[in-house]
Amino acid sequence: MTIEHTHEHEQLMRASLDHCVKCTICETQCPVAAVTPLFPGPKFVGPQAERYRHGLSVDHSIDYCSSCGTCTLVCPQGVHIAELNSLARGAMKQQNNMPFRDQIISRTTLMGAVMTPVAPVANWALGVKPIRVIAEKVIGLHRNAPMPTAHTQTLQGWVKRRGASAPAKPGSRGKIIYFHGCAANYFELETGQKTIEVLEHLGYEVIVPKQGCCGLPLQSNGLFDAARKYVRKLVADLRTGGKDIPIVSASTSCGSMLKREAEEILGVADPELADVGGRMVDIMELLLKLHDEGTLPEDFAPMDVTLPYHPPCQLKSHGIGVPATEVLELIPGVKIKESGVACCGMAGTYGIKKEKYDVAMAVGKPLFDMVLETNKELALCDSETCRWQIETATGVRTVHPITIIHKAYGLS
Amino acid sequence: MRDAVVIGAGFSGLVTAIRLAKAGRTVTLLTKGIGGIQLGQGTIDIFGYNPDRVTDPLAAVDAITDGGHPYAHFSGTEVAAAVRYLAELLPDVFVGDPARNVLLPTAVGALRPTALVPTSMAAGEVTDGKKYLIVGLARLKDFYPGLVAENLGRTPLPGGGSVTARAVTVDFVAREGEADSTGLNHARALDDPDNRRKLVALVKPHLAEGEVVGLPAVLGIHDTAAWTDIQTQLGVPVFEIPLPPPGVPGMRINEALTRLAKDAGVRVIVGNRVVDHAADGTTLTGVVVNSAGSKTGHAAKAVVIATGGFESGNLHMDSYGTVTEKTFGLPLANAEAPLVHGDYWGADQPLFKVGVAVDDAMRVVGSDGAPVFGNLYAAGGILAGATRWREKSGEGIALASAVRAADSILGEAR
Amino acid sequence: MRKLEADVVVIGGGSTGAGVVRDVAMRGFKAVLVDRVDLAQGTSGRFHGLLHSGGRYVVSDPHSATECAEENEILKRIQADAIEPTGGYFVATPTDDPEYGDRFKTGAEATGVPVNEVSIAELLRREPRVNPKATRAFETLDGSVDGWQLVWGAAHSAEQYGAKILTYHRVTKIERQGDTVSAVICTDDKTGETVQIGCSFVLNCAAAWGGQVAAMADCHGVEVVPGAGIMIAMNHRLVNTPVNRLTYPADGDIIVPVHTVSIIGTTDQKAEDPDRLQISYEEVQQMMDCGEQLVPGFRQSRALHAWAGARPLVKDSRVSATDTRHMSRGMSIIDHSERDGLKGLLTIAGGKLTTYRLMAKKVVDAMCEQLGEQRECRTADEVVPGSEKHTFYSVSHRLHDREEDRLSEQILCECELLTKKMFTDLQDEQPLATFDDLRRQLRLGMGPCQGGFCSVRATGVSHDRGKIDIERATGLLRLFLRNRWIGLWPILNGDQVRQTALDDWIFEGTLDIGHLPQPAEEVLR
Repeated sequence: MTIEHTHEHEQLMRASLDHCVKCTICETQCPVAAVTPLFPGPKFVGPQAERYRHGLSVDHSIDYCSSCGTCTLVCPQGVHIAELNSLARGAMKQQNNMPFRDQIISRTTLMGAVMTPVAPVANWALGVKPIRVIAEKVIGLHRNAPMPTAHTQTLQGWVKRRGASAPAKPGSRGKIIYFHGCAANYFELETGQKTIEVLEHLGYEVIVPKQGCCGLPLQSNGLFDAARKYVRKLVADLRTGGKDIPIVSASTSCGSMLKREAEEILGVADPELADVGGRMVDIMELLLKLHDEGTLPEDFAPMDVTLPYHPPCQLKSHGIGVPATEVLELIPGVKIKESGVACCGMAGTYGIKKEKYDVAMAVGKPLFDMVLETNKELALCDSETCRWQIETATGVRTVHPITIIHKAYGLS
Repeated sequence: MRDAVVIGAGFSGLVTAIRLAKAGRTVTLLTKGIGGIQLGQGTIDIFGYNPDRVTDPLAAVDAITDGGHPYAHFSGTEVAAAVRYLAELLPDVFVGDPARNVLLPTAVGALRPTALVPTSMAAGEVTDGKKYLIVGLARLKDFYPGLVAENLGRTPLPGGGSVTARAVTVDFVAREGEADSTGLNHARALDDPDNRRKLVALVKPHLAEGEVVGLPAVLGIHDTAAWTDIQTQLGVPVFEIPLPPPGVPGMRINEALTRLAKDAGVRVIVGNRVVDHAADGTTLTGVVVNSAGSKTGHAAKAVVIATGGFESGNLHMDSYGTVTEKTFGLPLANAEAPLVHGDYWGADQPLFKVGVAVDDAMRVVGSDGAPVFGNLYAAGGILAGATRWREKSGEGIALASAVRAADSILGEAR
Repeated sequence: MRKLEADVVVIGGGSTGAGVVRDVAMRGFKAVLVDRVDLAQGTSGRFHGLLHSGGRYVVSDPHSATECAEENEILKRIQADAIEPTGGYFVATPTDDPEYGDRFKTGAEATGVPVNEVSIAELLRREPRVNPKATRAFETLDGSVDGWQLVWGAAHSAEQYGAKILTYHRVTKIERQGDTVSAVICTDDKTGETVQIGCSFVLNCAAAWGGQVAAMADCHGVEVVPGAGIMIAMNHRLVNTPVNRLTYPADGDIIVPVHTVSIIGTTDQKAEDPDRLQISYEEVQQMMDCGEQLVPGFRQSRALHAWAGARPLVKDSRVSATDTRHMSRGMSIIDHSERDGLKGLLTIAGGKLTTYRLMAKKVVDAMCEQLGEQRECRTADEVVPGSEKHTFYSVSHRLHDREEDRLSEQILCECELLTKKMFTDLQDEQPLATFDDLRRQLRLGMGPCQGGFCSVRATGVSHDRGKIDIERATGLLRLFLRNRWIGLWPILNGDQVRQTALDDWIFEGTLDIGHLPQPAEEVLR
């Protein structure tokens, strides 16, 4: 990445502010501005404030943006509002000193790698209030914020171990590369395992190349240079899985990073990224596509249940609609109640920060209420950090929609 | 392959999609962002000025002689049926008679003709001898009750007579610690019964005998009982006056229609701009969207373009003055220069009449009158020939063309 | 009839008049300034906003170049609040002769204008949108300057020295007793009242209108040729510093970042009447092409507003009257005692905004000489009100200020981040001002929405305060919208069309402003 290249990218994002007609639709949908006056709103800090920035960021209130991307999604004029905000926030963080906390939680692989060998201790530490209080004081993680649960093995380890025992038949539908993301690798093996098993059930030969972090947490905390390194490495990792093979992901935010954000926010214009991004498909998007083509086996076991489902902001930014709802309702007896809420408040790592925790909980409140009203046992959401947020706030077990499909196919 | 792809999420796009889905068709609605309903005033205009003030909008539709006007394709009865279709989709939301315009006060105190109005605005109808108390909210910068009241009071009514109006401003705290609260944040606050009680307590001391109370249109966003609750507590008729965008009444309608569309099975995909299309001769086979950096095809048997005009950017005038339709590159009517003139308060700006021409089935046609594609239909603000905002004809055109386009696809056109 | 007395009446409230009245007052004369409209409503506010370093004239007009370089330094010292010391670039685009750079360099050395040749990589680092195919670049001390603020600063300074500033006072007659000026007769256009200002000296600083003013003293035949040029403001800063073409001065050769916008200028057409300047399609296209040369993609950028200004060029018999660019940029002083046998009247015209202080000094020196008085000019030594802290303007100022007061103040104009308090404070100082008068000082409605959202707020706030009745409030709104349109329709394209559609939706669709009671007579001032 040359300096000129970054400039060009920033200029393009900046140029999109020309489309803003001040209709303010973005501010009506912003989940953060709805709950606190501390955030002036996406139009204000985005296309409006950008005209006043001259290298220098003087408006620290921009840091209240959670990067959920709703503003860009709903803008009828095509302004890259969230991307402008991310760039400005990145500049601001470079200007000021990045808090140690943002550097730690941004390095998910580091955190996962550090926690895995000592999982019982780590889980104990994260579950114990006094230790969390110290963590809050020292590094600014809110004591009540959801933290991932570490496992003693990784998904990669599971894939390797099952090796021979896994179904050996070559997929009738051909190969597919699975991009699991850090969460499924370190914290939520279940999602990864079930995704692989459903894909195999459908007749795919699933390839799971060794892969690192996409860099999204770094990016949303304004650490752009490091994020670019991570995403480039990941692109190379995934390409080892083979040429022209579709890549499927069950992690909406990491998928979105490869599909869109690495280019639109980090300015990575490598053809390798375009190749991977172009092949990337969300697991539920894939299932709906198969359904539309008439090739999805729909011999689902009936389940008489109404489930609350929160399509996360990061999924919406894929621009694929809400495929999970339609797919899940193919299961006889399943009724899906969409949350109708823009964001759970977590937005990646926003909600774990001490100064943002209350805002994040207020953002998520309508969602938590809706979940509790709909089903106290089980809720659905495509994004891992949002699942942790919903679970922590409501006590309702929250899983990826693939879990239900897995069950309906009789795989669990 | 979907039965239909509808592009755009304003009145015309949503209503077309709902009508098709309710008839059992598979429909995908593609939209770049949230549609324009909340940019408008929340009433259903049919025909307000032609250019004189219209009292019977349906008669005015029937009297259209300009073949280039969208209403040339409709009878008044058909427009009325389309408007009623919307009213039935959203029961208890609107009141009024498509055949009779009422005058409502605007946020600068002008008398604005419209046909169907949200129930929360109905008590504002301007009639001879009416007495108004217009109430401003100190933290809401888009509503100045003195401006409304004094302009109302000095305006002679079209049929003779006048009204009297007083103004008062109360300091209602929509959000603690904020001097500049948006209309929506006021509305969110008024979803809470406690806040409604506080507002009522502030207004009540100012009431005088025989007055109706006009408030800015921020009386609740999700709680449909908010307006009636305030009215009941005040014990006098209360009405809402629409504000510049983003307008709360439009937001309510937009949310309701979007929910209806989803409930009817429409696949609503936000954040997608249509960038290309595929065709087999003069039959469209699908459209291509740019979603998250990659191009995705949506195959469809019929396509409806309901993008709006210049306001959405789908009609685009470049720096040389050339106008193009950005989605399909469709031929445009009324696009010859000069499209603007310097007399701001003068004749219509020709710019606003640019759009696509259609046949009676709402199929987009070229200058030869032949359909560009046999299965491409248009509805709403993209249609050529109307100055929607000056005429106050936007919703009527949107609904009539939406219903017609849907019915053509359903094979039920006349 | 109202009667006033003064030593000197200054006619014309542009930069020259404001500089002159300040200088006159600081030298101890009792002074009155009159203008038929508001301060800096003419050419001084209708330019591209460049604070010259002198670079532009090092080849074509070395004398001006040196003057600019000196005055650039003085103004930064005394009027920091109106100036952004950006530095600037002269850039040879691919179609420009790179050899000209050598003449430029030689000229700069000879005139004492600091310039420094930089690599194209360095240029692009600082100005990423400038044409990457540029062949040469020089950096200079160009800056940007707000003409309105400059003029109001000088006027406030003059007031501190006892001068009176009378706006909306239209001169109808300059009276004489014998062969000497004795009084100026004006009409106060806000009240209709006639005002007589007894005086012994009149300084005619009416610039492009100077010939008309001289004629009121029966001094006929003073030909000031208005050289009209158009400017276009683009929605945001396409450049960080003024970027000039490295060529002999020509049309469309500069883009200047001023406040939140960038301005491209300019053309040069002989105009018949400085009150009726046209913005032609051809000129707009010419500017767009020139913009594209300097900043590729310029045509796709959003144009907000256009205006035309009339350079006041005193006719010089050395060149053809239709070729105004090649007339002397230096000022001319016409002494009417020599020309017309009338003592106590000097007409001044020409010059540049950057050298306004120097011009004022020269004309006041000439007046003192005629009066036989020795009074020193001190205008270069004293800071004008508002610049006491020597803080230069920065584009981020308002964003910074709103970060502080956003929760306690309402923002009236969101594009230009103008609070209700800033608006009402100025309205209290200038209660008769139109919204356009306030706009020039506050930037109300000068951003992307061009008044779409703030104009009704300004109307409501003004009316709410009880100082303006409903007829005037509504009339001022109509006037403001009409005036915005004058600068909008000639450049309407691209994204600004979307805005115009939304604005029309608001004004006609939602508010139905067009059907408010029509005024018997439009409010015009």
